[in-house]
Amino acid sequence: MAIEITRPGKYSLVLSTPVLPAAGAVGFGDSYKALVDYDKLGAIVTNPVTVEARSPASGTRMIALDAGILLHTGLPNPGLVKLIRQQRKVWAKMPVPVILHLAATSVGQLRRGCAILDEVEEIAAVELGLADDMEVADAVRLVKSARMEKPLLARLPFYECYQLAEPIADAGADALVMTAAPRGTARDPNTGRLVSGRIYGPLMKPMILRMVGRLRRQIDEDVPIIGSGGVHSPQDARDYIDAGAVAVQVDTATWVQPKMLERIARDLGGWIATRHKNAFLDEWNPDMGHTEAIERRVSSDIAGDAN
Amino acid sequence: MKETQAYIERVKRVNRDSQRLELAVDRSLSSLLAGQALLVRRIEKDYESEHWDPYLRELWFPVEVQTSNIVVVEQPAKAQFVPGQLLSIIGPVGRPFRFRRKLRNILLIAYQTTPAALLMMLPSLLTKQVSITMILMGTARQYDTNHLPEELEIVRADDNMTWPDMVMTLGWADQVFAIVGQGSELHYFGEIMKLIRQRRNDVPANYIFGVMQRPLPCGVGACHACILKLRGEQKLQCVDGPAFDLTTLRLN
Repeated sequence: MAIEITRPGKYSLVLSTPVLPAAGAVGFGDSYKALVDYDKLGAIVTNPVTVEARSPASGTRMIALDAGILLHTGLPNPGLVKLIRQQRKVWAKMPVPVILHLAATSVGQLRRGCAILDEVEEIAAVELGLADDMEVADAVRLVKSARMEKPLLARLPFYECYQLAEPIADAGADALVMTAAPRGTARDPNTGRLVSGRIYGPLMKPMILRMVGRLRRQIDEDVPIIGSGGVHSPQDARDYIDAGAVAVQVDTATWVQPKMLERIARDLGGWIATRHKNAFLDEWNPDMGHTEAIERRVSSDIAGDAN
Repeated sequence: MKETQAYIERVKRVNRDSQRLELAVDRSLSSLLAGQALLVRRIEKDYESEHWDPYLRELWFPVEVQTSNIVVVEQPAKAQFVPGQLLSIIGPVGRPFRFRRKLRNILLIAYQTTPAALLMMLPSLLTKQVSITMILMGTARQYDTNHLPEELEIVRADDNMTWPDMVMTLGWADQVFAIVGQGSELHYFGEIMKLIRQRRNDVPANYIFGVMQRPLPCGVGACHACILKLRGEQKLQCVDGPAFDLTTLRLN
């Protein structure tokens, strides 16, 4: 199966499976090699990387929420050049394309980053993380300034998604990733202090699913949308595809159940390939036994007859 | 490291405040060493009917590894566990504790937490005839120690975090492992270092280790939520820990 997750063209990115980890989920390279079979995924998205090195955030970095997590790491990374030096051999051995998530807030940073990354053949594409609270004009200027031969995916901030999607697509982004995790604030039960960070968990899915559905109808069909947020099961991933996404990114579900990433990839790949043919599912869903598959088929046939 | 399934075979109340769970685990976990931990999540038989609260995996430090693939963990008595409960386990997480080759005397310090994460080292050290003293400070003083080996010397510090013959104990110890309550680890470790520096002329490298037991979102070095600043470098609790030399850890 071949899924094109960027605009069609000379440098478009084609994946074998439309499932990839979200930025921040699997580290910079092969951290999950013992737990996840990367071969089953469409691509890897690295943790956010900045042109200059960044130190970790001080204080509380993680608060457990009801059915979720608040995370504030400060995007620690050694800087683009050093990271490439450290990870290049690891990326070269990856069985799937590597997409580098670049967190750049100025035109200068982005141009420098693009110039460096254009020379790194182990990187197949760049995902630009647009900062929260960014003005539309600034975001458009930023995307337009990215000149490179690799595809540029733009990850939109949660709260500005509706305002930014169309202008960013028009500015030349090769795909839109919807969205970054929203920011929130929670009280640290250990210190009693309020901590701000990004919110992850299954509850993100209904909100971002609606965004994907609405924006798919608004923006140019040539610009693919990648759904990202709250995917915790194969059905979550299917819902994003139904809403108009070409692929999905899985974030913190990978930490909770690493094998779920693989399961979603296997399920979604098979489902996309065969959904128009009403085929059995048990070829690719490892948990579905033959009996259950027949039951599902029978019940869907009955429902079809009733209609 | 692997993701495996286990189940609780037995739940045993060991004292007023603690219970021990015997987990029937995958064979790969029977080689766990002191310092290594498990990331555990209670699961249902049907993988699809997953609940997401609590969301993250819990960090469990085993206190004993028995034959026949049984790993024992200690939990507060108020937590509810039932035999037969299915668990998803990622492990082993982290590196084993590094002991000095000619270790004769070891000092364990628990401050504002139970010493459970330090208990797995006891059987092997006692077999090697290492003398062990455990200091309980702060809320750790309430920890009931009746179930611990008799050879272990247990001292409860006073309200000022001091105990009789403190200078002698700190001089006597070849190595110190300290564990502290969650949330303000670096502050608590700082207090312990201050105590030690006041009573010891020099604190050499690899003398005192702080054992981190912060919750780990991923456990494999991907999320970087557990990153620690050391002198001249950064390390991850999940990959390089849980024990860090307190003379190099940047304490605030």
